[in-house]
Amino acid sequence: MFLALDPDEQAISDAAADFLVNEFPLERLHKVPRDISKLEAFAELGWLGLAAPESAGGSGLTIVEEMLFFIQNGRVAGPLEILIQVLAIAAAQSAPAVSESLICGKAGVALLVEQAADRIRLIGNADARYALAVSPRCASLFELNLANCQSVMCLDSSVAMYTGDGTMIRPVLEQAGGAVWQQAQIDVSAMQLGLAERALEMIVGYAKQRQTFGRAIGAYQAVRHPCADMAVRVETARSQLFYAATAFKEGHEDAVMQTDGARLLADRAAKLNTDTNIQLHGGIGVTDEHSAHLLLKRANLLGRLFGTSRQHMASLLDVAGMPREA
Amino acid sequence: MDLRFTEEDLRFRSRARSWLKDNIPKTARPAHGAEAAQFDRDWQRKLYEHGWAGLIWPREFGGLGLSEVQQVIWYEECARAGAPHYINTTYVALMHAGPTIIACGTARQKADHLQRILTGESLWCQGFSEPNAGSDLASLKTSAVVDGDDLVVNGSKTWTTDGQHADFQELLIRTTPGSERHKGLTWVICDMSSPGITVHPIKTMLGDEHVNTTFYDDVRIPLTNVVGDLGGGWKTAMSTLAFERGTGFIGDQLALYERVNQAIRLAGKTRLEDGTLAIHDSNIAGRLALIKADTMAIRAMTLAQISEIQQSGNPGPKGSIMKLMVTGTSKSLSHLVAEILGWEFMEFNGDRTDHPWTYEYLWSWVYTIAGGTSEIQREIIADQLLELPRAR
Ligand SMILES: Cc1cc2nc3c(=O)[nH]c(=O)nc-3n(C[C@H](O)[C@H](O)[C@H](O)COP(=O)(O)OP(=O)(O)OC[C@H]3O[C@@H](n4cnc5c(N)ncnc54)[C@H](O)[C@@H]3O)c2cc1C
Repeated sequence: MFLALDPDEQAISDAAADFLVNEFPLERLHKVPRDISKLEAFAELGWLGLAAPESAGGSGLTIVEEMLFFIQNGRVAGPLEILIQVLAIAAAQSAPAVSESLICGKAGVALLVEQAADRIRLIGNADARYALAVSPRCASLFELNLANCQSVMCLDSSVAMYTGDGTMIRPVLEQAGGAVWQQAQIDVSAMQLGLAERALEMIVGYAKQRQTFGRAIGAYQAVRHPCADMAVRVETARSQLFYAATAFKEGHEDAVMQTDGARLLADRAAKLNTDTNIQLHGGIGVTDEHSAHLLLKRANLLGRLFGTSRQHMASLLDVAGMPREA
Repeated sequence: MDLRFTEEDLRFRSRARSWLKDNIPKTARPAHGAEAAQFDRDWQRKLYEHGWAGLIWPREFGGLGLSEVQQVIWYEECARAGAPHYINTTYVALMHAGPTIIACGTARQKADHLQRILTGESLWCQGFSEPNAGSDLASLKTSAVVDGDDLVVNGSKTWTTDGQHADFQELLIRTTPGSERHKGLTWVICDMSSPGITVHPIKTMLGDEHVNTTFYDDVRIPLTNVVGDLGGGWKTAMSTLAFERGTGFIGDQLALYERVNQAIRLAGKTRLEDGTLAIHDSNIAGRLALIKADTMAIRAMTLAQISEIQQSGNPGPKGSIMKLMVTGTSKSLSHLVAEILGWEFMEFNGDRTDHPWTYEYLWSWVYTIAGGTSEIQREIIADQLLELPRAR
């Protein structure tokens, strides 16, 4: 029983932070609003196959290391294509040819976020070969034809978004079961936690400097108490996420409930912390040149991925001895 | 990271589970008064006799020397089995005074007190707060002068929980005349049967009289009762509070999980006034699910905290995060159940056993005020964890 990072886990987390902060600092999004696709470079550095088995060209690590990477990714509102690619690799496990093309970064993947009869919506990679859809019951890969689709602007302008009709996609493979869905919950929670942490650091830094009425705003309780609450939300979300990822790795019976709990708390932390960060910055907080809105917008996007909060709540309310209505 | 319990831990769990099953008192704890205190003493005596007292106390002081992980297991099993609540009249003795004497006491004080605490023979109370010194504890004024081998104490303390039952008190007083704030204070063992002490009950909104105001009129306390240094009481007091903020509420942290599941079951069988099953009300279901998630996180945080203690030797300022989470989540839960229960919630005779949810609801403010208010916990986080400029 040990629920803190061991030295190896800390080393992975530090390496991920080092890479992301240097290559993808949050501030980059002010100069180049959208990251250019760098899948092959990510593949070479090993970030795509972190938790994939060695037999499939991965590093054979676990969901825990993957989670640590995505926390760091969240902190810089890093490339979303890594998340989509990692999940697609997991979905394609039983199809070596496809999985290989994904793990080495040759084939890109976009994420299906809406799939109705008459309309589908995708986010991510513009020249992707595949589209990925993940549900609690299965994960599916489709071949993607972007010729007939329409590019639309996204609130999180660092992310490409497309709409079109069903003719854009053709099924390639389907993996039954909820494993990819669970993995997605952990990875998204990790990114949300990263955003929440970053928002806290941003406002704490500013609250030490910005002076009003002759004192730093961080000395006012109307500022420092909301900051304390942000820290509480971060710690809460982090503890639950660490627990959930480890429970998932160890195959615990209650792993689904634990990941759902992690997701709810990470979403809450990201939503409220990115909001409070803007408010406590004052006017500068609503400007385009400030980075606060980048965190808010990314949190908004992530909060919509892979299920609604209602879905995530169901497993938590499923208690033994619970009477049911027909 | 790993969540696996060792074979030894698993054996400990099953031993605890089966012992609790056979030994939990058949009758409920009396709601008030001397009978309640006697019930607590008897339960503690039983724990002692069967080798369950002083779980993480060192063996040399009569404890079991168990790991923090096994302590977690013990409290989980107590919550699951519905064992007597551990925050009772033995709490200050076991969770404050004992650990403080182990850390700062003399050999004689250890010999005199530790065993009697573990057996439930002596009950303790805490005399820190005063009518004009609560959050700002360092402004306390109750004082003593040295006269021969004794301290002679005059003044008053308030909010003394269970002062009417206690044999001893951890008393924090000003012993350096003219000293200010944190300087010149002394932490001393006060025998509650000493001449000159009067204890006046304060009735709370829960309807009970478990807190008191304590008056000291030329009360003589031998200097050998000073724990830590004369004039160094702030340091001793901070180690007392560190135990409370460290793992002193661990049982409540873990018991919350059982309570949330009880509330979910309740929502699954209780109809709201309009006939809807409470759990089918999306507002109620949503709030319950988030409270459950917070409760799971509190358990995870407890495990993270003991892992950090293993790594670095102390829990750090995160104890304040824990206190905010536990008291805040507990408050949200009892307030939500107040909505679910409808009129049934209004039935209250002051007995925790008869009306647990109404009792918990009223208790929720004690929780967020006693032991350092939520506002003060936020101050501690802002000061110590975030290192923001000070408000004070
Ligand atoms: C049921 C109960 C049992 C207790 N048992 C004991 C006991 O056994 N022994 C013991 O010694 N004490 C005990 N206490 C006392 C408890 O520790 C104090 O009540 C608590 O620390 C608050 O102090 P106060 O009541 O003087 O409130 P005050 O300090 O007067 O606070 C009033 C309000 O102002 C806020 N406030 C104060 N200072 C600040 C600040 N700097 N920034 C922001 N807000 C601030 C507080 O949060 C609170 O909301 C008990 C209290 C209760 C209610």
